[in-house]
Amino acid sequence: MANEVRFETREEVDFAVIGSGSAGGILAKELSTAGFTVVVLEQGPYRKASDFTHDELSVLVRAELHGGNNDIHGQTFRDDESKTADLPHTPPVRYARTVGGSSVHFTANFWRLRPVDFRERSLLGPISGTNFADWPITYEELEPYYTKVDWEIGVSGAPGPFDAPRSKPFPMPPMPIKSSGVLLERGAAKLGLHAQPEPHAILSQPHNGRAACTSCGYCMWFGCEVGAKSSTLAAMIPLAEASGNCEIRPLSVVIRIDTDEQDRANQVVYLDAEGNEQAQKAKAVVLSANGAESARLLLMSASAQHPDGLANSSGFVGRNLMHNAHSLVNSVFEHPLNDYKGVQVSRIIHDFYDSDETRGFYGGGGIDARPLWSTTPILHALEGRDPGVPRWGKAFKDTMAHDFMRQMSIVASTTSLALDSNNITLDPESKDAWGRPAIRETYRDHPDDLAIAAFLEDRCAELADAAGATKAWRFGIHPTTGGEHLLGTCRMGDDPKTSVVDNKHRSHDVPNLFICDGSSMVTSGRGQPTMTIMALAFRAADHIKAAASAGNI
Amino acid sequence: MADQSNLSRRQFLQSTGTLTGATCLKLMTPALFAITQSACTAKQEASPFKVLGPDEAHDFAAIAARIIPTTDTPGATEAGVIYFFDNAFAADMSGQLEGARAGLAAFNDALIDAHPDAGRFGDLSEDERDAFLRTQESGQFFNLAWEMTIFGFFAMEKYGGNKDHTGWDLIGFEGHHGGWQYPFGYYDAEVHGETNRGE
Repeated sequence: MANEVRFETREEVDFAVIGSGSAGGILAKELSTAGFTVVVLEQGPYRKASDFTHDELSVLVRAELHGGNNDIHGQTFRDDESKTADLPHTPPVRYARTVGGSSVHFTANFWRLRPVDFRERSLLGPISGTNFADWPITYEELEPYYTKVDWEIGVSGAPGPFDAPRSKPFPMPPMPIKSSGVLLERGAAKLGLHAQPEPHAILSQPHNGRAACTSCGYCMWFGCEVGAKSSTLAAMIPLAEASGNCEIRPLSVVIRIDTDEQDRANQVVYLDAEGNEQAQKAKAVVLSANGAESARLLLMSASAQHPDGLANSSGFVGRNLMHNAHSLVNSVFEHPLNDYKGVQVSRIIHDFYDSDETRGFYGGGGIDARPLWSTTPILHALEGRDPGVPRWGKAFKDTMAHDFMRQMSIVASTTSLALDSNNITLDPESKDAWGRPAIRETYRDHPDDLAIAAFLEDRCAELADAAGATKAWRFGIHPTTGGEHLLGTCRMGDDPKTSVVDNKHRSHDVPNLFICDGSSMVTSGRGQPTMTIMALAFRAADHIKAAASAGNI
Repeated sequence: MADQSNLSRRQFLQSTGTLTGATCLKLMTPALFAITQSACTAKQEASPFKVLGPDEAHDFAAIAARIIPTTDTPGATEAGVIYFFDNAFAADMSGQLEGARAGLAAFNDALIDAHPDAGRFGDLSEDERDAFLRTQESGQFFNLAWEMTIFGFFAMEKYGGNKDHTGWDLIGFEGHHGGWQYPFGYYDAEVHGETNRGE
């Protein structure tokens, strides 16, 4: 408390950081502890660990951590740019509005990318009609920052047979195996596949003064009440505040980044908790609002100088949205798993990670086993129940009574290709509750994205069978209509014509504007992006600190 | 508030099967006892509900009791799901109350068409109730009632339903807890204490 610092909006701070999530929380900590003054503008409230509950109705049904359902957000969706977008009940683009962002409510599955992810375009060749490209950095350049995430954010795990090289071991052993992990191992062994422990951004042991996981089971979509989940709220924000250089300013809804005559960002305009317009002056701006919000804000910051939006001379702002596709098979076993207890995932299979030409399409993915829709009772009744049984009456009741304890899902998380036609734009009609143009998502999976999801659904079904499921059913391959993974919309690259930021996250167009979050990613990885977003943020922070110290911002 | 009581009254007058003493007696099966007692008592005394009229409460409770029926184990009735309905319509779902009332009126109109002598939904035999519900199950009103029954059966008790954790007990969900000790289930019990724990 003694270190709490407050800045006047008219006082020019070194950095205004927009967003306090996976990337923003790390950048705020790194910059403030290096001695720079920082104001973090977070649109959500400042919830602490003690504010998080197990209230399924509030958190899952009423979207408490998202800040409410789509009547608040007004987001629209269409699958083709020629169509008028619809206004669904659930926002297509989903993320937590709270200090710590979606690192607060994510499931904490925590995979590094592998060397291949950074240069697939070179290795596999072009894919026509897509913006498939190499990253402007390599795994080797990012590896020290993955290791920094392991140790500073807090990662539990053990090496697997296909893992990328690491310069230091995991700081903590993996979370113990659950029944779903035992069954996945059993299925994998029969099929000649390799199950390995899941790495988690969850502490299996006390670490850096934080408590270990108590296995309460409320990781996915809930906030961790003991701070064992390695959100930036738990791991970074306290250090940023303790520096005495960082103010976290919650309930600050940013509406615009202003630039001066020299095309430099000079202030961030936002609505405060009372809805009054404020403008925070800053020497530089770090935009880490997530792959949907960062794009929206740049498009909303259009001006006479920047008619197509700020930092958008390439036209790439908002484009190349990638959600990662998914497929899954639900399975029921003879004996209780009680898989709702503990972390979601304890074993994964990475045998299908690499793209394989012999399949006839691009893509790869990882497979895990988890309770998923049998994590909580309402979710089970709504989504996890056996679709072959009527949804009401005695059979419905008896089936839930039998299956809930005995069920797990085998889930594949897969690649998405970068396409011009998958994007975030401003809806021309719909507004959010603050009067901002609503996020409009346009998305249709590339055929290869659906093909790899279908391919892995078959593998999931084989695994369920090999693990000894008494019954199993497929969720089916459905077109993606939104998601939590918000990747690619301000991609990194060396060419200002085909990317938004350079390989150090500096905007090509606005020299004192840095953009770092899921939007920076050039390819989608295989479905667990947060580890990479955090590593990118540590790396960006090093470059930004060096540039600022050299007077080069 | 004035609007709500007017709606209630209109609903009351429109309803063809107001609870008579005889109906009350007929409904005194153990399964429906708790709710009909509330509803019947409410005819003479102050309603136990915040926004639902006694007939509305009776109808919603009877529908919920077919969605999660009382069998050899407790169902929606014992879980007090109707109190979830009432609390939700008085609070977070107040915006849906009017639509739900219109839906219930249409449901009752269809019921009278199908069973001119039936009185209310709860007066039908179980088979008749289920057969009638099947004619309604694709409609918005049934979906709302279905979803609210799920919520009322499984949401935390503070929302009014899931009395004494009836819903959680049914499916083997041990409820909210500070944390759990391994093993959690049958299959991990086979390996814990051996090689996999905290390698």
